[in-house]
Amino acid sequence: MSHFSWVDGSIVGLYIVATMVAGIAVRRYVGKVEHFLIAGREMNLYLGIASLAATEFGIVTCMYTAQSGYKNGFAGATPGVLAALAMFFVGYTGFCVKPLRDAGVMTIPELFQLRFGSRIRWLSGVVIVLGGLLNMGVFLRTGGDFLVAVCGFDPKYLEITMTVLLVSVAVYTVLGGMLSVLITDFLQFVVMSAGLLAVTILILVKVGWGDLTATVQAHYGAGGFNPFLHAEMGWEYVVANALLSLAMVLTWQTTIQRLLAAKDTRTGRQVYTRTSFFFLCRWLIPVIWGIAALSVLTPEEVGDNTLLAMPTLLSRVVPMGLMGILIAAMLAADMSTDSAYMLSWSSVIYNDILGPFHKGQWSEKRGLLVSRSIVALIGVFLLFYGLWYPLRGNLWDYLTVTGNIYLSSMGVLLVACCYWKRANSWGAAGAILFGAAIPIAFLVMEQLPSTRHFAREVVGPHLSNIATYVCVSIAMVVGSLLKPQAANAESKGS
Amino acid sequence: MPEHWIWMALTAACVIWYSSVTIYVAIRGAMDIKSMLQRLAKGSEDVRQDS
Repeated sequence: MSHFSWVDGSIVGLYIVATMVAGIAVRRYVGKVEHFLIAGREMNLYLGIASLAATEFGIVTCMYTAQSGYKNGFAGATPGVLAALAMFFVGYTGFCVKPLRDAGVMTIPELFQLRFGSRIRWLSGVVIVLGGLLNMGVFLRTGGDFLVAVCGFDPKYLEITMTVLLVSVAVYTVLGGMLSVLITDFLQFVVMSAGLLAVTILILVKVGWGDLTATVQAHYGAGGFNPFLHAEMGWEYVVANALLSLAMVLTWQTTIQRLLAAKDTRTGRQVYTRTSFFFLCRWLIPVIWGIAALSVLTPEEVGDNTLLAMPTLLSRVVPMGLMGILIAAMLAADMSTDSAYMLSWSSVIYNDILGPFHKGQWSEKRGLLVSRSIVALIGVFLLFYGLWYPLRGNLWDYLTVTGNIYLSSMGVLLVACCYWKRANSWGAAGAILFGAAIPIAFLVMEQLPSTRHFAREVVGPHLSNIATYVCVSIAMVVGSLLKPQAANAESKGS
Repeated sequence: MPEHWIWMALTAACVIWYSSVTIYVAIRGAMDIKSMLQRLAKGSEDVRQDS
């Protein structure tokens, strides 16, 4: 029985109206494509921190991290620890991000054109969008599932909830682009933080730290606290997530867009270092919620879908009033993520995939119209994909596999582009090919009844991900060394 | 020292981070928005004057 009431509905309604008004109000500052895609590179440090923190925490984040806590205990927060370390390392050293921001480009593929040529830029754009859209495809349904479960709505309203959520986000993103995203991200950061804090304290008080640790000990033993000792995790889980974290920090389009929108390289790097701890928080807090669900709910109450364990718990323990703040916080988290992701992929489509067609010669007015249309089309895609795709297995596993379609190749390409003189277009093409082929093959095999067992039980997502990074690196090195030096110099010259 | 102290320390750090850093970032972020919009408005005026 949910505690969602008219008081909570009013809080949520007020929040949505405030966000929409703020998001739409800044559309008058959007005069150029650069304003629409990267806010005219006018973003300062603290706005960058708030925006990145809001973007990288959505309902989908909360759902998969809580599921990880429910199924793995505290060890489920391992990817958060690794992501925080990767963020700090990259921001502190400037590894790859310094040359990337210094180059003054709008997207990563634009940087690749300088080193590997226009075909690699286009190909990079295609895999980034392919991986990104497949990854984001499950956001909407997951958000709808959460809201329906927590508010206690009839599941038949799931599609309507998804549509309303998407349209709200699409309106201000289409009109204001990155400027709207930054302003609404800021509001969402404040609301989201207040909600997360209040609910976490409530859970810690109601369930108690002793019960949380005792539950994890009883279900998973030492493995619930140490990923290397966990039966379903082990070294391959840690290695796969370490590689993923580093690649994500270096090339995840929404993260990179904050770096590129920063007013200078120093500010961009500071956004990285000072947001790094947030990447631990965004895992550990929902993991605690997931463990609390494991502690409070019986297996019969949770059923087969462990993804809904945490929302079911929240619907029971969060009282009226705080429920409104929680829903507003989660809507805030989801809207900031959806808007930023829609804009990210649209910037790559406009800048890199359509680049050969407009060649930077379209008028600002036409460029803006096309950019806005792309955002709207991505919204339509999300709606249909979210309704159609049946999610099998863990949500986090799905996200890592789809993300790796481009994270592995783009990560290796970026490192090679910045630090290896022999890297060239042959190596880049091979890396992109392997980087996309292995995760897609895994996804297809996971869906086919004849290969499902082999994909999920024999290989598994972690080994598949590690294999992707290894093959991509080998392809980069071998391809680059195979290309004759003369042809290499010629293509660089051209 | 309590068992599993590392997870307890990290959880406490997260709660403290959210209850302190958030307020600071919110105040400074609001100032950033103000200055960003001022710069963008000034840029638009300069473009209009140039044309």
